[in-house]
Amino acid sequence: MGLRLIPVSFFTLIWDMKGRIFSSGIEHKKARWGWTFIIPSLVFFSLFSFYPILNALYTSLFRKKLLSLDPPRFIGFDNYVYLLQSPDFWNSIRATVVFTLGTFVPIVVFSLIFALFIMSRKRFQKFFQMAYYSPAVLSSVVVAAIWLLMLDPRGLANQWLNFILNTPGIDHKWLANSAMVQISTMMVYFWKYVGYFTIIFLVGLGSIPKSIHEAARTDGATGWTDFLYITLPLLKPTTVLVSIMSMLQCLKTFSTQYLFTQGGAPMEPINVITLNLYHTTIRDRSIGLASAMSIILFCMMLFFTWLQFKTFRSEEVQY
Amino acid sequence: MDIFIWAVLIIAAAYIFAPFVFMFTASAMPAGDIMKMPYRWIPKGFYWQNYWQGIRGNDGSFIYLRNILNSLIVASAVTTTTVFLSALTGFGLAKYQFKGRHLVFMMILATIMIPFEVIMIPLYLIVMKLGFQDSYLGLITPFVVSAFGIFLMRQYYITFPDAMLDAARIDGASEPMIFRRIILPNSIPAIATLAILTFKSQWDNLLWPLLVAQTEEMKTIPLYIVRFTAEKHTDEGAMMAVAAIASIPILILFLRLSKYFIGGAVVFTGKKG
Repeated sequence: MGLRLIPVSFFTLIWDMKGRIFSSGIEHKKARWGWTFIIPSLVFFSLFSFYPILNALYTSLFRKKLLSLDPPRFIGFDNYVYLLQSPDFWNSIRATVVFTLGTFVPIVVFSLIFALFIMSRKRFQKFFQMAYYSPAVLSSVVVAAIWLLMLDPRGLANQWLNFILNTPGIDHKWLANSAMVQISTMMVYFWKYVGYFTIIFLVGLGSIPKSIHEAARTDGATGWTDFLYITLPLLKPTTVLVSIMSMLQCLKTFSTQYLFTQGGAPMEPINVITLNLYHTTIRDRSIGLASAMSIILFCMMLFFTWLQFKTFRSEEVQY
Repeated sequence: MDIFIWAVLIIAAAYIFAPFVFMFTASAMPAGDIMKMPYRWIPKGFYWQNYWQGIRGNDGSFIYLRNILNSLIVASAVTTTTVFLSALTGFGLAKYQFKGRHLVFMMILATIMIPFEVIMIPLYLIVMKLGFQDSYLGLITPFVVSAFGIFLMRQYYITFPDAMLDAARIDGASEPMIFRRIILPNSIPAIATLAILTFKSQWDNLLWPLLVAQTEEMKTIPLYIVRFTAEKHTDEGAMMAVAAIASIPILILFLRLSKYFIGGAVVFTGKKG
């Protein structure tokens, strides 16, 4: 949508400016100030948002190397064809999708549960809210570094899991085994963001009027039916929001995977698209190819967002 | 049921806190103790050598201090420009009638949908062309204003009483003066929310500095942590000391100003948190 608007809006902008600058009157003067206040940001967005997205599309059609003296060569959709035939890129798509599904679904479920539980308490609401939110404050690199040590073969994660499973002395290979390292990245992300989304659910829950719950109770609803038929349907906008926000967040994941691979974890299982994109840019310097990757990532984000809207709508509750 | 809920909440809180406690306790222990089973949650003493080692670096260059300074400079600069420009633009969009303003607002809003990762390469090319590579300008430029910030400020200003602005106009105040004397002082909560969110996201930023900062002198805290973690001889305690140093400023901000952190988290719900 944004893309289609650019030429039109530039036209209206210039046209408007002409009308405003050469006429007078208090309304026009005010309008001129309005434009003056927004022009700096508008220039910035043109240069650092609209132009780059068009440029990414454009560059993705070229064979272009960073710091290379050869002029970029137009190759049409060859970069996309190459990527869609490359096992390495498919692995990245797999890693991204697995990570996203494995992370955002638990985040949505648990943040909803935590929010409901916190809401049901009369005391310590504020404390739990703050406590659960606190990991989101830390920088992702710090979080990844802490977990890197906890997931060490001699670290806490093994001690806890062995305690729970009652299997002393087993190494669960959190950072070495290809399935485990994927689970590890999901755990890190889950830990960091579950509280953030709990807060959003709490706001959603708080906005449901108490009178509706009271009415349901007088009609004989118990805690469970009240939740199922009152809370859940009324909470749907919040659920959609949390679900889409957390999903987009997961699709963009980079820091955890980057630090883990730098810290010695195997690359292949967690080579998510952003990590691949970074390496293609910095190591291979193939920015044409990297641009095509970024466009594919963008399309995936748009597609999954659309898919979520669609799924949620088909389950629309009528009452 | 009641006890079950308390149990879940408390266990979850313990799970949330454990890595924090681990970071701080491990930063105060010699490396040999950190990997010992079972983990000693209360350190025997304060092993300050970790902090010394972390700041000194494995090569003894003390570059971490410079990297902390860089993070402070970049995060403060970005926060200042973002708050100022977002407030200015948000005000312009909320309180002035002119043709095309809805279109402009929609355009700016649409850029929220564009993830940074997607436009990163063109941005890198622009910054290189401008000659800002490996400089503060390069680290700062792509973030001087944010669409999210404009959205936040506009929503705040739209409810601001017009009567107050008109009264100021009758008293002869110019529009920039209205912005400086009336609008800015009356939007401290929104400004604080935006400032904290912006500062935090820059403190956290990894991908962009990875591309732009090439020399050790221009790197920021996250880059130092990555490098320090990846180095072979890094001792676990020093690693946690470095992480703790990076986290303490933001944790203090969080404890003092938590309502603004939480306020920022719920902006998109359009409800009062």
